[in-house]
Amino acid sequence: MNFKTDKIILAVFLIISAALAFLPSFVKSEYLLRLIAVVILWIGLAGCWNMMSGYTGYIDFGPVVYFGIGSYVVAIAMTKYGIPFFPSLALAGLVSAITAFFIGIPTLRLKGAYFAIATFAFAEAMKQITLEFDRTFSVSFFQGSDGITLPISGYDNTFFFYCIFPVTFLVILAHYFIEHSKFGYGLKAIKEAETAAEISGVNTTLIKLRAYVTSAFFLGLFGAIEAYWITYITPSDVFNVQKTVQMVIMTLLGGMGTFLGPVVGAAFLTLISEALGTRFVEYYLIMIGAIIIVAILIMPSGIIGTLKIRKKLRFI
Amino acid sequence: MTGLQCKDVTMKFGALAAVQMVSFSLNPGEILGMIGPNGAGKTTLFNCVIGLHKPSSGKIYLNNVDITGMKPHKVCRLGLAKTSQIMEPFQAMTVFENVLVGALHGGRMRMGPAAKETERVIELVGLNEYAFKLSGSIPVPARRRLELARALATGANILLLDENMAGLNPHEVDDALRIINQIRDSGKSLIVVEHIMRVVMGISDRIIVLNYGSKIADGFPEDVVNDEAVIKAYLGEKLSSLKVA
Repeated sequence: MNFKTDKIILAVFLIISAALAFLPSFVKSEYLLRLIAVVILWIGLAGCWNMMSGYTGYIDFGPVVYFGIGSYVVAIAMTKYGIPFFPSLALAGLVSAITAFFIGIPTLRLKGAYFAIATFAFAEAMKQITLEFDRTFSVSFFQGSDGITLPISGYDNTFFFYCIFPVTFLVILAHYFIEHSKFGYGLKAIKEAETAAEISGVNTTLIKLRAYVTSAFFLGLFGAIEAYWITYITPSDVFNVQKTVQMVIMTLLGGMGTFLGPVVGAAFLTLISEALGTRFVEYYLIMIGAIIIVAILIMPSGIIGTLKIRKKLRFI
Repeated sequence: MTGLQCKDVTMKFGALAAVQMVSFSLNPGEILGMIGPNGAGKTTLFNCVIGLHKPSSGKIYLNNVDITGMKPHKVCRLGLAKTSQIMEPFQAMTVFENVLVGALHGGRMRMGPAAKETERVIELVGLNEYAFKLSGSIPVPARRRLELARALATGANILLLDENMAGLNPHEVDDALRIINQIRDSGKSLIVVEHIMRVVMGISDRIIVLNYGSKIADGFPEDVVNDEAVIKAYLGEKLSSLKVA
C-alpha cells in the first residue's frame, strides 16, 4: 500500500497546526482571536461527530448531549464542590464517556433512522431532566431553567484558545489514525456492510462503542471548556438541538468520513455566517440556507468528499 | 473430533421450520457439497452455523468447541468463514482493503502482516488486476472471488461457500474450481452450496441433500445422485437418467 500522499497530507496538517499554535501572539484583536477560537471549537465538534457518524454511517442526532453533560459536570464540580477548572475538565470528559458507554450499549443495536431518533430523544430527555430535576425532588442541583453561573475565570481569549486548540488538534489527528488503523477499517466496513463486516471477524458492537465513547469524551471536554468560557449555562443552551444540526451540516458540507471534511466544513460555515451575519443582520440565515442547499446539490459528498472522488484520492 | 459438527440443528421462524433436525459433520480436508431446491434451508443452515441466527435447538461444534449462538465475529476468529450468496463487498473500499479487513479483524493481524497476507490471498484467487479498484466497480466474477478472498484472509480453516459460482460462465466456473481445489490442497475444508451439478459432483467428497429443511441424503456423490428421494425432490427424472456421476 502506498501511504506516501497520506503522509504528505498529514505533514501539511501538522505544519499548519504548529503555525496556528502561535497565532495568539500575533493576533492583537480580541474579536479576531475569539472568532478563530470559535472556528476551532466548531472544527473539533464537527470532528467528534465525524469520528462516529462519518465513519460508521450511524447518524447520531444527539451528540449535543455529551457537550451538555460536559458543561454541567464542569459547572457543578466548580460551583458545588469547588474543584478547580482542569480537574473538573477531566471529570467532564470522563462522565461524558461513561454515559456514552451505557447509552451506546442499547442504542448502537438500532440501525438507520431508529438510531438517529433514539440519540435525539436521549439529548432531549437530558435537557428535560436538567430542567425539571430540582423542582421534582425539591433540591438545588442543576438549578433548572435558572441555569448555573460559573466562577468568573478572569482568563482572556488566549487562555481559551489554548484550551480548545489542543483538543481539536487531537480530534482531527485521531482521524488520521482511524484512517490508517485496524480500528478504522473496522468502522468503514461497518458503514459499507455491517453483516459482512461481522462475518469477516469485525467485532462490530465493540468497535462502534469505542468510536461512540471516544467521540463523547471529546464532546464532553468541549462542553466543559465552553461553559467556563461563557460562564453561564442553561439546559436549553447547552442541550440545544441546533448545536447537533450544526455539527451534522458542517460535516456534510466538508465530507462525511474524510480527514479534512470537518475542518473545511466547520471553517467554511462559521466564517461565512460571521461574514454575512455582520453585514446582512436580517437576511443572513436565508442566505446561508441557500448556500448550503447549493453546495449540497453541487457536491453531494461534501467539499472534501467530492475532491476525494474526483482526484481518486484514498485519503484526504 | 476436529472439524465441524452439527447435531439436530433446528431453526424456526415462527411456525415455519426452515431447518429441521439437521445433523452432519465436516472432516478436516474434506469438501462437502450441499444441494437442495430453493428454499430448502441451505442458507439458513449456513447462517446458523456462522452465528447470524441462533438455532431454535440443536448444537454446533467447531473443533470440539460449542459455537451454538456465538456471535459471527467470534465464530470467524475460531476459524469458520462464509461467502454470501448475495454479495456484500465494502463498496467504497478497494479490493485490497476489502480483503485487508478480513485479515486484520478475522485473522487478528497487525497492519504489516495483514497487508502481506492480503497480497498473498489476492494473488491466490487471481484478483491482482483489480486490487486497487473500488470493489463496487468490478465485474460480478471478480466480486465472487473477492468474497472468497475476504473469507480466506480471515485465516479460517473451514469455508462455507454459498453459491459462490452463481452467475459465472463455464470458463469462469473452471477457474473457480481450480481455486477451490487449491484451497483444499492447502489443508482447508469447505462446504459448497451450488446448483451447478457439474461443480458439486466434480469437487465434493461427500454430498448432503436438504429438502424442506430436512436432510434427506448424505453420502458419496454417486450414491446421492441415484437416491430415489433426491431424484424426486431435486434432480428430477431426466438428469438421473443421464447418470451423472
